[in-house]
Amino acid sequence: MEMIKIFIDGCEITGKSGDTILNIAMQNGIEIPNLCYNSELKVYGACGLCVVEVEGVPKLLRACSAIASDGMRIHTDTERVKRARKIALELIMSDHEGDCKGPCSLNCPAHTDVQGYLKQIALGNDREAVRIIKEKIPIPASIGRVCPHPCEDHCRREMVEEPLSIAYLKAFAADNDLASDDPYKAEKAEPTGKKVSIIGGGPAGLTAAYYLCLGGHDVTVYDAMPEMGGMLRYGIPEYRLPKSVLAKEILAIEKLGVTFKNNIKIGRDISFADIRNSSDAVLVTIGAWSGSTIGCPGEDLNGVLSGIDFLREVNMGGRPDLGKNVAVVGGGNTAMDACRTAIRCGAENVYVIYRRTREEAPAEDIEITEAIEEGVTFKFLTNPAEIIGEDGKVKGVKLQIMCLGEPDESGRRRPVPVEGKFEMLNVDTVIAAIGQKCASEGFEDISLTRRGTIEANADTCKTNLEGVFAAGDATNRGASIAIAAIAEANDAACAIDAYLLGLELNTWKPYYSEKKVTADSLADREKKPRAVMSVKAPEERCKSFEAVINGFTEEQARKEAERCLECGCHDYAECKLIRYANMQPIQPQRLFGEIHDSFIEQRLVSIERDQGKCILCNLCVRTCRESVGKGILGLVDRGFRTVIRPEFMGTDAVRFCKDCKKCAELCPTGALKILER
Amino acid sequence: MRIIIGEGSCGIAAGAGKVHNAISALMTAKDSFTLGSTGCIGMCFLEPIVDIYDGKTLVRRLVRVSEKDAENIVNAARNNDLSLLDSITIKPEDEEFLNRQTRIALRHCGLIDPVSLDDYIRADGYQGLKKALTTMTPEQVIEEIKISGLVGRGGAGFPTWFKWNACRQSPGSEKYLICNADEGDPGAFMDRAVIESDPHNLIEGMLIGAYAIGASEMIVYVRAEYPLAIANLEKAIAQAREANLLGENILGTDFSCDMRIKAGAGAFVCGEETALIESLEGKRGMPRLKPPFPAQKGYTDAPSNINNVETFANVAWIINNGGEAFAAMGTENSKGTKVFALTGKIKKGGLVEIPMGATLREVIYDIGGGIKDDKEFKAVQMGGPSGGCIPAELLDTVIDYKALSATGAIMGSGGMVVMDESTCMVGMAKFFLDFTARESCGKCVHCRIGTKRIYEILTRIVNGEGREGDIELLEELCVAIKDGALCGLGQTAPNPLLTTIRYFRNEYEAHIRDKKCPAKECTALLTYSIDTEKCVGCTVCARKCPVGAISGAVKRPHSVDTEKCIRCNQCLISCRFGAVNVR
Amino acid sequence: MCKCNGEGPKSDLTRLNTVLEQYGDTTSNLITILQKAQDIYGYLPKDVLYHIAEHLGTTPAEVMGVATFYSQFRLTPIGKYLIMSCQGTACYVNGSARISAAITEYLGIKNGETTADGLFTLENVACLGCCSLAPVIMINGEAYGNLTPEKVVKVLKDIQAKEGAI
Repeated sequence: MEMIKIFIDGCEITGKSGDTILNIAMQNGIEIPNLCYNSELKVYGACGLCVVEVEGVPKLLRACSAIASDGMRIHTDTERVKRARKIALELIMSDHEGDCKGPCSLNCPAHTDVQGYLKQIALGNDREAVRIIKEKIPIPASIGRVCPHPCEDHCRREMVEEPLSIAYLKAFAADNDLASDDPYKAEKAEPTGKKVSIIGGGPAGLTAAYYLCLGGHDVTVYDAMPEMGGMLRYGIPEYRLPKSVLAKEILAIEKLGVTFKNNIKIGRDISFADIRNSSDAVLVTIGAWSGSTIGCPGEDLNGVLSGIDFLREVNMGGRPDLGKNVAVVGGGNTAMDACRTAIRCGAENVYVIYRRTREEAPAEDIEITEAIEEGVTFKFLTNPAEIIGEDGKVKGVKLQIMCLGEPDESGRRRPVPVEGKFEMLNVDTVIAAIGQKCASEGFEDISLTRRGTIEANADTCKTNLEGVFAAGDATNRGASIAIAAIAEANDAACAIDAYLLGLELNTWKPYYSEKKVTADSLADREKKPRAVMSVKAPEERCKSFEAVINGFTEEQARKEAERCLECGCHDYAECKLIRYANMQPIQPQRLFGEIHDSFIEQRLVSIERDQGKCILCNLCVRTCRESVGKGILGLVDRGFRTVIRPEFMGTDAVRFCKDCKKCAELCPTGALKILER
Repeated sequence: MRIIIGEGSCGIAAGAGKVHNAISALMTAKDSFTLGSTGCIGMCFLEPIVDIYDGKTLVRRLVRVSEKDAENIVNAARNNDLSLLDSITIKPEDEEFLNRQTRIALRHCGLIDPVSLDDYIRADGYQGLKKALTTMTPEQVIEEIKISGLVGRGGAGFPTWFKWNACRQSPGSEKYLICNADEGDPGAFMDRAVIESDPHNLIEGMLIGAYAIGASEMIVYVRAEYPLAIANLEKAIAQAREANLLGENILGTDFSCDMRIKAGAGAFVCGEETALIESLEGKRGMPRLKPPFPAQKGYTDAPSNINNVETFANVAWIINNGGEAFAAMGTENSKGTKVFALTGKIKKGGLVEIPMGATLREVIYDIGGGIKDDKEFKAVQMGGPSGGCIPAELLDTVIDYKALSATGAIMGSGGMVVMDESTCMVGMAKFFLDFTARESCGKCVHCRIGTKRIYEILTRIVNGEGREGDIELLEELCVAIKDGALCGLGQTAPNPLLTTIRYFRNEYEAHIRDKKCPAKECTALLTYSIDTEKCVGCTVCARKCPVGAISGAVKRPHSVDTEKCIRCNQCLISCRFGAVNVR
Repeated sequence: MCKCNGEGPKSDLTRLNTVLEQYGDTTSNLITILQKAQDIYGYLPKDVLYHIAEHLGTTPAEVMGVATFYSQFRLTPIGKYLIMSCQGTACYVNGSARISAAITEYLGIKNGETTADGLFTLENVACLGCCSLAPVIMINGEAYGNLTPEKVVKVLKDIQAKEGAI
C-alpha cells in the first residue's frame, strides 16, 4: 500500500494514500474534534466540527471526508478554524436542552460533583464519595458541618417535597472515611521542584496547599495562629465543628507533604519580601480577621467586643466574663455563633439586635431556631443608637426602633428608623457581629481595593505583584462563606500551577447546558421526606460546647442519598459535546431561540431517549441501519424540525429492535441512555 | 388561417383554457380556420395571448384575451377581417419585449405546438442529434461544447464540457445522464417554460449529452408542481420512442439510450445534485459529501452527469450552429445567452433571453418597461435564496458570471425579482431565510440551526425588538454558515442577507435603533395617524377599522388610538382624502 | 397483513396493491409509490405506509422518513378544497403575506390546517410559477391571480356558497 506524508499543525505524519485527513490524524493520535464520525460507518459530515484549513485550498475542508494527499499541510487550530468550530458548537448548544450538571453542582461555588458523590453514598461507597468530593474540597468533614449549602437551596427535590440534606451527607461520608482503616488518599504528581508559600492556613490556604501539593509542588503554609484552620478553627464554635474533626483533616493534608509553620505573622516574624524571595509563587489567603465597628456613640466603652474576637478567644479556651446580660448586634451567622456561644459561656440573658426582621436575616434559619431554643431573645427591627456606659464600662444600649421601607439594591427591604421611638436595654456586654474586614498590614506593596481588601484578578487570582496570588475572604468583595473561599483557592491553585509550569490558563467560565424544570414535570415522583438530623436537646446544648448534631445513622444516610433526582446528565463524563464545547469559551446564549421539545422516549427496548439532548449526528440511525442492519430509527421531518424517532407504526418494538444497545454506545451526548435492569 | 392559443401554465392560470373552450364552442365544421395551442411565449404580462397565423406568418397577436373576445376572434377569422381585433392587438411598444431578445434556449417556445413532433422537426428539430450521431465522435461533441463556452445554467456556472468529460472518463459501463428540472427557486420558471413549450428540445439536448458521456439512460427529475411540464414531456418521450429517437439504435446508429421522468415531491434542496441523486434513489433528499463527485459515484453509485434544463436546451443549437456561433455572443468569460424570469414590481414581467453582456438596466427598463406604477427602483434580486439584491447604483452591471458575483449576488438560475421603494430589505432577507430554513434538509448543523437562528434574529428586528450588535452577529453567522454548511444550499443561504446588509445597512440600523421601517412595510414598526387638516370627518375609516381604534364625531377630524391599532392598513385604503398618515 | 393494532381506520389496500405490483420491486421507487398512494387515498394513512414498508422489505422508519421529508406528502386527510398559497418571491414582493393573513382570518386555519367542516385545507407552497399574476393562490388546480385580501375572501365565500356552507 502506498503511504503518504502529511503535516498537521506542522507535525509530520504518515498515512495510507486515499485515506481521509481525519482517519490519518486519528491513527496518529491527533484529535480533530468530531461528533458525527465513526470509522465503521459511512462518512456523514453533519456536525461541521472537523473542519480544517489546508494550505492552498480557499475553503475549509471537513477532515472526515477530505482525502489527504502527499505533502498536504493541514491546520486544525487557525483562527478561522476555531471560529468555525466555535459557532458550530454554539449552534448545537443553542438547540441542546438538558442538564449537564444538576443545579446543586452549578450553584456550589466550588462546583462539587454533588450528584456523583450522593450516588456513591447511596451505594454505600463512602470512600469513592470522598474521592469525588476531594476533587474540590479537601476538608469535607468540616465543610459538611458548617456549609450554608447553596446546593440544598437549589436542590430540585424541593419541587417534589424537600431538598436533600446534602451537606450532612458529605460530612457523613467523610467521617466514615476518616474512621476507616484505609481513608482515601489522592495520588501526588511527580515533584516539580517549585516552591509555593501560602500565607494563611484557613479554608482557602489549606485548599490551595492540598491541590498544589498534589500537583507536585513544595508547599509551605504560614499562619499567625498556633494552629491551622483559620476561621474554621477560631471562628466557628466547637458545638458546630468539633476541632478534633478539623484537626484530622488538617493532619491528612500535612501527611500529604505540606509544611505547616504556625505562629508566624508577616511583618512581625518574617517579612513579606523574604517569603517572596524564597518562593517561586506566593498565595495570600489571610482572611478577614478584623471586626467592623457599629459606628454609634459609646463604642469604645469597656465591654464592647467584636464578634470574631470573642469567638476566637472562646475557641482558644478562654471563657470571658460577659456579665449577666449580653447584646449581640447583627443578623448573620457570626451573630448566631456569638449569641449561642455567649449562652454557653454562662450569660443569663442574651439579646440579638437586628435592624430588619427574621425574613431578611442572612443567618441560616435553623441557626435562628436553635438560638431561640437555647434561650436567645431576638430584638428584630432595632438598631443600637448609643451604647450607654458608666465608669467607662457598658451599662446598656439605647435601641432605635426601626421599620421596613422600600427594597434596596439587594432586594431586601431597607430598615428605616421610626422617628423618636427608642428602647433601653440593660446589658453588660455588647458584641458587634456586623461584618469583617481584611487586615493587610505587612503586605505593603500589594494593591488594595476601595474596601481595603486585596485586589486579585477574578480569573487568574493574580495580584499586582509578580508571582503573588491572593484568594478567599481577604480579596476583592471580602468575607464570604467557607466554600466560596475554597472555590477561589481551587482557581488559585490552577492559576499557580499554570504559572509555575508555564502552561496556558483557561480563564473562561465553562458552559453548561441547563434545562427548565417545573414542579409539574416532577409531579410523578414519589414523595420521600427529607431525613431529619437528630440534635441534642436545647437545655443540654446550652451547658456545653459539645456538637449539637448527632449525625445520620447509616440507614438514614443511604436512604437520604437515594432521594437524589439525578438531574445532571448521566453521560457528563463521557459527553463529547461538552468536552469540545469547553475547549474554548462559547456563548450559545446569544443564539438562543426556538428549541426542540424535550421529552423522554421510552419505546425502545432497554434504551431511554431524551429528545432534548439529541444533536442529530444521526450515529444511532446509521449504526442501526448500516451495521446492525435493522433501521428501526429514522429521521422524521426536515429542516430545523427534523427529529430522530423510532418508528414501528403501531407494532411492537421488540419485533424490530434486537436490543444490541449499539445506538446508545455511539451516542456522543447523553441523548440515549441504557436502562439498568 | 390558424388560431393558436398560448397555453403554458401562465396562460392557463390567466384563463387561456377558458378562451380555448369558448372559441372551440363557437367553431363549426364549416369553418376553414383551425384552432391550436402552443407553449409559453414568455410575455406573461399580456396573457392570455392568442396568435393568428396565415400559413407560416403571424398576422395578429392578441393579448389579454378573455372569453368575451371569443366571438370577435371567430368572426374575424371567418370573415378574414382582423380589424375587428384591433382593440386587443398587441401594442408596438409591447412588441419590444420580444424584439429586444435573442432566443436560443427559448427558440421554439410559443412558436410550435409542444406536443407535436412534426412541428419540432419542421423547426429543424433533431438535426443536431443527427449531426452528432452520424458525423461526430463523442469527443468531438465535447470539444464543440468546450468551444461554445457553455456553462451550467442552474446557477453554479461550471463548464459543461468539463463535467461531461469527467463523466465520460470515469470508468464504468453503466452511466446516467440526469436533467435537473427541480426548479425550486421561488420566482423562477424558465425551466418549466422550456419543458412545457419545447420538450423535444430538452430530449434532443440530453440525447447529445448522453452520446457524449456514454450514458445508456436519461432521467429527468421534474418538480411535482409542474404537472403540465410532466404531461408534455411524457407525450414527447412517447413520440420520440415511436420515431426511434429514443431506445435501441437511435437513428439507425449504434447509440442506444432511453429516458424516463421522475417527479420530485417538493423539496428545494433536491436541486442540489447529490440530494437529487438521493431522491432519485427513493430516499430523503439529503446531500452527500463530495468527494466522491457524481461523475465518479452518482445515481446507484454509477458515474452520472447532471445538468439543468436550460443548459440542455442550448446543446442542440450549439451542435447545429457550431460552438463558435454560441461563443460569439456574450462576454470574455460568459458566453451565449441567459434566460431570466423577470417578475416583481415590474411593468412587463415574463421570460427574457438575452446575450450575456447586456446590462441589468437594459433588462429592467428597455425590456421590462421599468417599475410598476412608475415608482422608484430599489433593487433587483437575482439567484433567489442563493443570490442577492443588487441596488440601483449597480444597475449598469453587465450580465456576466464574474460581474454579478462581484456584487455579492449571483447569476443564479434566472430568477430576477424587481423591488421598488415599498419593499423592506430586512423583510426581504427574512423572506429568503425563512425559505432556506424551511427547505433546509436538516442534515448539517450550520444550515439546520444556523438559518433558523438568522431567521429568528431577523424576525425580532422587523418586530422592533432588534438589539445593538445584531447586525454584527448576523454577519458572523453568515460567514460561519458559508464556511461550514455541507452543500450549496447552506453555503449560499446567507447571500440574500449579506447583500442587503452590504447595500442597505441603514435600513437595518433604522429598524434596530430607531424602530422604524423606512419602506413602511414592517407593520410592527408603523404608526398610523390622521391629518386633522385633511380629515373631513366622513367616518369611513372609523367604520372600516376592525378594532374600533378610530374615533371622532361626524364632520370632525378623527383620530387613531395607537394602542388599539393593529396596523391593518384599512383606514389608509379607505380614506378618499389622503388624510391617513403612516410613519 | 396489516398489524397496526387498530391505529386509525383500516384502509382498503386493493388499489395500493396494484401500484405495488407495478413499482414495488425496488425501494428506489418509494417516492413514486407514495405519490400514487396519496393519489388514491388523498393522504398517506399509517396502515398504508406500513403496508408499503412491508412490501418493499424496508422499515417503517425508512418510509416515515421519506414521507415526512417531502412537502408534497400529507399524513392527515385534507379538505375538499385545497388552497395552495404561493410563497414565491414575486408573490411576496406583491403582498402575499396579506393574502395568507386574510385566508387565515376568514377561515380560522393556519398553514397545514383544515377547517372543522372539512371544506378547506390551507397549504403554503413553493412558487407556483404564475409570477406575473402575483399574488396567486391555487384552489384545486385553478389559479386565482392579482389578489387582494378582499378578493380572496370573495373567492372563498363563493365556494362556500356553492357548497351551501353559508
